[in-house]
Amino acid sequence: MKKFDYHIPKSLEEALSLFKSLENAKYIAGGTDVLVNIKRKKESPSHLISLRNIDSLKVVEKKDGLKIGSCLIHQELLKIEEIRTYYSALYDALTKLGSKQIRNVATIGGNICNAAPSADTACPLLVLDAQVVIFGEKGTRMVPIDDFFEGPGTVAKEESEIVTSFELPSFPKYTGSAYIKHTRREAMDLAMVSAASRITFAAEDQSLLRDFLSSKGVEELDKELKNYPLFVKEARIALGVVAPRPFRAKKAESCLEGKFLNEETLREACEKAAEEAQPRDTIRGEAWYRREMVKVLTKRTILLSVKRAIEMCS
Amino acid sequence: MPISTQIDKIDAYDKVLGKAKYASDFYMEGMLVGALLRSTRPHAHIKRIDVSKAYSLEGVVRIIQAKDIPGENSFGIIRKDQPLLCDKKVRFIGDPILIVLAVTEKVAKEALRLIEVEYEDIEPILTPSDSERSPILIHESGNLLTHKKVIKGNVEKGFSESDIIVENTYITTWLDHAYIETESGFGYMDGNGRIVIYSSTQNVHYKRKEISRILALPEEKIRVVQATTGGGFGGKLDMTIEGYVALSVYLTGKPILIRYSREESFLVSTKRHPLYIHYTTGAKKNGTLCAVKVSIIGDTGPYASYGETVCLRAAIHATGPYEVENVYVDSKMFYTNNPISGAMRGFGVPQIAFAHETQMDILAESLNLDPLYIRMKNGLKRGSKTATSQILEESVGYLETLERIKPFWLERKKGKDRGFGLGSMFYGMGNTGITNPSWAELKLSSDGKVVLYTGVCDIGQGSDTVLAQIVCETLGIDVSKIEIVRADTDYTKDAGSTSASRQTYISGKAAYEAALKLRSFLEREGFYSGKKLKDIFEKYKDMGMPVFDGFFDPPTTKLDPETSSGKPYATYAFATHMTEVAVDSSTGYVKVLKVHAAHDVGKAINIQNVKGQIYGGIAMGIGFALMEEFVPGKTKSFNTYYIPTSLDMPEVDVFIVESEEPTGPFGAKGVGEPALIPSAASIANAIYDATGVRIFELPCDMEKLKLLLERKRERG
Ligand SMILES: Cc1cc2nc3c(=O)[nH]c(=O)nc-3n(C[C@H](O)[C@H](O)[C@H](O)COP(=O)(O)OP(=O)(O)OC[C@H]3O[C@@H](n4cnc5c(N)ncnc54)[C@H](O)[C@@H]3O)c2cc1C
Repeated sequence: MKKFDYHIPKSLEEALSLFKSLENAKYIAGGTDVLVNIKRKKESPSHLISLRNIDSLKVVEKKDGLKIGSCLIHQELLKIEEIRTYYSALYDALTKLGSKQIRNVATIGGNICNAAPSADTACPLLVLDAQVVIFGEKGTRMVPIDDFFEGPGTVAKEESEIVTSFELPSFPKYTGSAYIKHTRREAMDLAMVSAASRITFAAEDQSLLRDFLSSKGVEELDKELKNYPLFVKEARIALGVVAPRPFRAKKAESCLEGKFLNEETLREACEKAAEEAQPRDTIRGEAWYRREMVKVLTKRTILLSVKRAIEMCS
Repeated sequence: MPISTQIDKIDAYDKVLGKAKYASDFYMEGMLVGALLRSTRPHAHIKRIDVSKAYSLEGVVRIIQAKDIPGENSFGIIRKDQPLLCDKKVRFIGDPILIVLAVTEKVAKEALRLIEVEYEDIEPILTPSDSERSPILIHESGNLLTHKKVIKGNVEKGFSESDIIVENTYITTWLDHAYIETESGFGYMDGNGRIVIYSSTQNVHYKRKEISRILALPEEKIRVVQATTGGGFGGKLDMTIEGYVALSVYLTGKPILIRYSREESFLVSTKRHPLYIHYTTGAKKNGTLCAVKVSIIGDTGPYASYGETVCLRAAIHATGPYEVENVYVDSKMFYTNNPISGAMRGFGVPQIAFAHETQMDILAESLNLDPLYIRMKNGLKRGSKTATSQILEESVGYLETLERIKPFWLERKKGKDRGFGLGSMFYGMGNTGITNPSWAELKLSSDGKVVLYTGVCDIGQGSDTVLAQIVCETLGIDVSKIEIVRADTDYTKDAGSTSASRQTYISGKAAYEAALKLRSFLEREGFYSGKKLKDIFEKYKDMGMPVFDGFFDPPTTKLDPETSSGKPYATYAFATHMTEVAVDSSTGYVKVLKVHAAHDVGKAINIQNVKGQIYGGIAMGIGFALMEEFVPGKTKSFNTYYIPTSLDMPEVDVFIVESEEPTGPFGAKGVGEPALIPSAASIANAIYDATGVRIFELPCDMEKLKLLLERKRERG
């Protein structure tokens, strides 16, 4: 492994000016991607600037949605009750990311900035309409997460810029979201395919949702849908590992958004999602299988989102 | 009493406290680190090697090539067909060509990149069938490593008497041992000019023999000691780093450390043999087996390693734990330019068990019989005659393993997408049809303890603890009263390898024999009427403390060269697993939920160790059945080689059957390999139960199962 110098700034400004003054520098948070890349000789920075001692990167703010600092480790995020309750897709992802050892050092900022097609928190943030807050020479700016991912390992920011936090809007309570990561084993595995979705129903449907819940129909959700014409106000579907970047399957979303949810619209959405996917054959999985799994996972995340939305209305 | 009670593993505390010393933990002033240059070609002549640039790199001390080897440039457990360093020809990607010694590992590895090797490629042979047909020879002796047969009765007659014949082909692939500690060794020259090696190994005396041949030094000039070893599973039976370390010490006089990175370990460690098994079974309507005919073709890679053992052992175990009147097994191993296949937990038997257990389930279904019933009906028992015509006289607990599983089998309730499967096995303890003795010695020490000198390598399975328990039980002393000197060629006698599930049975018996002698000595000396060990030691201090030795070689016979008839093993272990799985039929994902595992171990000397082996065997079985696959040229590290994690473990209920083996210590046999053998088979059968899809090729990963499920759906 190549030698590098390690710097521990205490503030954003200090970090930024260090980055500017040093040759061939790189930010590091938990290091679980950076160090692996250095070892594999994918990159060889001369200076690593740690972001871990900057307090402002560890904020949690709970008004009008949720703001989470980029340097929070996954294991800390798991403890935030609001994530579990209102942003379930993100919670699902956090429980499945790496292993406890990894979750105890790795950060959400690192996961997003590393921008792997398999990054577990990416699809959840996409369906949760997250805004990426970025600090740089010109001050602070916000970028919708959908515009932030550019390609494998590339994101829409200057190298010197620091992602400070992610802002999640607050959703109406008749909203549910879910993330499913498809792996060969129960832990320590990157997704072979992943999917997240969010479904927000119309306010007028609340009593219907309550009926649905009390009917116990949620147990056999897909079969019961025809008895409850639920109107989808907003639908989000995001897919991982089946394109150069985690992306929103917008055609699939439009199969649902502004429509009634039933077997047919659900099937159409899954078919469209599979069409939008561009999976490849790799040693981790074959393309045909990945495409098939997009259908399966899309359906499952939507149903899980619906179930959660219904349960929120109890 | 020490045996059969819950006692902690002797080595556990040092390991969790970080005190245990693994080979890579050794350091000495002036130590050099070695790195190996390896072939990038599967099959090629070496035309030219240029090391000049590497020599000019600062920190490079010495580059060692084949021509520097003073003795023979070859090794191999059975057949010496593997060069220590290749000079004329390379036979697989990873074949070692030279050693760079440098002041640090980093410099040594950097130097490797500066070495130029000019190859002249030879067409690589990548399948056994190409190996059989190709005029290109991997070794001058030909591409067939070995050909064995097991013949009993008249198989054609057996088929003609059968009401039903079931014929299928089963395929398995390469697996990696994936031990937690990669291959590693440290060596130095002591004050008397002797070469001392500490290595991560499953045997020390064999390694000393090989080093002696390679260096043309008498064995007395070499000492091999086992460092604390982080797992072996058969991968540390062959020479790994020992030869390179010894040669480097010999040529430089310096302390040397060589250790493999995980990537290097994956590249060059031996693998489980991929076997192609064509299996035909004939049976009567009532389920009685009439005939079994099996053809086994194996890919042994470029060097023999344990290929001959796997070839024969798979053949001998081909019927499974069933009595079959007419048997014909034809087993062949071919050289290829793939990775070296060698010993791996079970020597071919886990593969063949996958085949015979699936056959049994297919038979049961075709005949409308219960899978447990058909196993009961044909199961080996006292007086049964095996495929090698051996009459089993004692310790045949197979039917009892079925009995123990039976209540759970009969009560099983199948949920949606759930399934249950059985898997059974028998497994011969120790080496096949050859002598495989062990010695042990006991002495008293000045501080009033009993010291056991044993050549057994404890690679984590717990032989230190088990041997201590056997000695303490025999002597009637507490386990705190014993010390162990383990696996050191200067102080311990040859106990054979830690392999073939043999150490508790064979070396345990040797330790028991030694303890009996010590016991009668202690009786005479008044120990049992209150005299202290310390005082007994004092009494003999000046006359010389007597040494009490024990010896055991299990009674086996040489096998008939044509039919393999004879007594290949003195005794066998038996087991049955019942496994429950849940199958996600949309994705092909299989989750193993619960295993009931019944094992006839003769006697459980240490219950916790027995259970530990069974849990580990099941974990490995899950890997074999569902996810592990070494793809030559593609699999580089754990990044793409999937082994199960703790979260993939099912709940396991262990049932210990103790059908005592009269020749074993307190009746003990072994459990190390048996723990794994029925696991994958029972998973495959459970998948069938859940889905109606038969698995003929392992691993049954998600894609494969999904494809099979789709095909079944299409057929309707
Ligand atoms: C064994 C193992 C298992 C893993 N399993 C998973 C898994 O299951 N799922 C998964 O998604 N990932 C997994 N990963 C990858 C990795 O752990 C995650 O991506 C993790 O979230 C990265 O966070 P980090 O803090 O360690 O990032 P680092 O490695 O510190 O940084 C990653 C990248 O982001 C940049 N960066 C970090 N923080 C900021 C910031 N605030 N502003 C600007 N740039 C920044 C760094 O410069 C670097 O380019 C695994 C990694 C390992 C080693």
